[in-house]
Amino acid sequence: MNRQGATPAMRLFAECLMAYETKAGPVLAGNKPPAVLVCDKLRLPLATLMGNAGYRALLARALTLAKAETPWPSEVVIKPDGSLGGWETLEAQDDPQEMAEAGVVLIAQLLDLLTSFIGEDLMLRQVYEVWPTVQLPQGDSIAQRKK
Amino acid sequence: MKTLNKINVAKSALPRKVVSRPAKIAIRQLPTGVRGLDEIMGGGLPEFSFNIIAGAPGCGKTTLAHQIMFANATPRKPALFFTVLGEPALKMLRHQQQYSFFDPTQLNRSIRFINLSSALLKNGLRGVVEEITREVEASSPAIVVVDSYRNVTRKTIAEENELDLQAFVQRLVLLLTSWQATTFMVGEYAEAEMRDNPVFTVADGIFWLSQNVERNSVVRKLQIIKSRGQGSVPGLHTIRITADGLQAYSRTLGLLQEKVRPAKRRRLSSGIPELDKMLGGGILEGDSLLVAGPSGTGKSALATQFLAEGLRHGEAGVAAIFEERPEGYTARAGTLGMDLRTPQKNKMLEMLYLRPLDLSVDETMQEILDAVKRLKAKRLVIDSLVGFEMALAPGFREDFQESLYRMIAALTGAGVTIFTTVETADTFNEMSFSHYTISFLTDDILRLRYVEIEGQLRKVITVVKMRGGNHSKDIREYIIGDKGVAIIGPRQEQYARLTTGLPDRIGQIKELAPEPKAK
Repeated sequence: MNRQGATPAMRLFAECLMAYETKAGPVLAGNKPPAVLVCDKLRLPLATLMGNAGYRALLARALTLAKAETPWPSEVVIKPDGSLGGWETLEAQDDPQEMAEAGVVLIAQLLDLLTSFIGEDLMLRQVYEVWPTVQLPQGDSIAQRKK
Repeated sequence: MKTLNKINVAKSALPRKVVSRPAKIAIRQLPTGVRGLDEIMGGGLPEFSFNIIAGAPGCGKTTLAHQIMFANATPRKPALFFTVLGEPALKMLRHQQQYSFFDPTQLNRSIRFINLSSALLKNGLRGVVEEITREVEASSPAIVVVDSYRNVTRKTIAEENELDLQAFVQRLVLLLTSWQATTFMVGEYAEAEMRDNPVFTVADGIFWLSQNVERNSVVRKLQIIKSRGQGSVPGLHTIRITADGLQAYSRTLGLLQEKVRPAKRRRLSSGIPELDKMLGGGILEGDSLLVAGPSGTGKSALATQFLAEGLRHGEAGVAAIFEERPEGYTARAGTLGMDLRTPQKNKMLEMLYLRPLDLSVDETMQEILDAVKRLKAKRLVIDSLVGFEMALAPGFREDFQESLYRMIAALTGAGVTIFTTVETADTFNEMSFSHYTISFLTDDILRLRYVEIEGQLRKVITVVKMRGGNHSKDIREYIIGDKGVAIIGPRQEQYARLTTGLPDRIGQIKELAPEPKAK
């Protein structure tokens, strides 16, 4: 599939997840950017499902697609276990809004990728494993399908 | 010797007759979720058994494991599906969700997929056992699947020794049995590996799937090589993978059911009064009748009249047709004054068009049995055996005779009356019934043939055999008119050697030709 940008529905969904993580508070977040928190949490069920290597490969693809859509700092890398590294040095140098946008795009691309492989239904089931109470934007097609 | 004597004394002290024995343990059977497989298994999967699902790539091993899992997993007794260095889980989910049995609501609720690749690569067999133990102890699963177990052992054989592998298998079996899980190890094996691989020794059940290519057609087969604790149907069973997943066809399909043939049987009208008289009053209900004759002698017309007569009396019918499409068959019946369209709409008649060219007899039989059950059909037409044989995969054609035997037994066992047509090539020096040696399979045989009389190619009919009673021995002439087959002449006494097709005139009376001669 020749992919363009992340879909609007998935961007909204990514924003919801990041907002949910931001609300969790700085103590819980450990000052990690919301996108990193979301990726970390998604990593657990997805690595269980497809292995660390499988999750890492999927995230690397999402990162490549995100980089094509929005500027991404070169410091951010994916570690062998699939976690994101290099984010610690970002906030001091970079525009927070730009970074938030980059995070939204990365998460949206990751969710879009998952959807393209296993369909929206199974993707949502994986996400709800992590955030069973997440509030999704009203009127959004994804939110309507929450079971 | 001392010990032996002691044993003998002890034995003689035992009461000779045991009054009551403690009840044997009843092994609960789990559904396989695969149509036909429970019957092959002897009722289902033995609970807490340790099984191997083996075979070459593309045979349906993973799909079989998924069907078993989806049929049995519940939130309280979930299923764990461990993947190891095989098909990536995302792709597996992508493909498996296409099947109708795949219920996404069960995912993570009653079915969990867990990847063991990292554990295997990092810590070898120990890591795999530890990971499986952790997950099993955490969720007390009813079903555990490891796919592909072969990949676990392949890495082990390369890097560890055989004893490690045996110890691993032993630990795994002990763990999973103690935790009351019914387990399936999925792997791509060759038959020769069964001797050396310890997992085959400890396994309670071995499901062997294969895929055979014959000429241009592919046939999948299943064999239960081992099934501890219960009897399974031996031999190779056909399987097909459809949108519903695997479907299995026992090679004894239909033979095990009880015959429902009533003690006093009715005689069914063929729809042709004169033919009924020749048949001693009609076809005995539950009989299998074979109509043999060359092309154009009206076999299909007779079959259609048999069906239409049943429909007139409120008897539902099924027609399994192999040489013509249902629309064409229905339209042709219409030209003979028989309406087959309305009964099809009213669910009194079903036309089965079975022509995929790689069918097995078992699949055909299942389709027909299903239709007979659906409609509670009393009459069945198989038109024709030649077309049926052509629709089979080449590998099944070799066993056609044996398969027909099973099929006819199964169908008559279901209480239906079968009217089968078969095309014969007429020679003018003999009268064969069919090129198959199947006449022993049928209760009744009608033979149609061409004869040369008065410069015309006319048609004659005779009842060759009727198991259920006396029948006419006459050879009678018939025509195919606008109402179908009609028997027009009395017994032919003017000619001898009609059965050869080239009779000799022995009578003196010149008769009128039944149809005008061409000028």
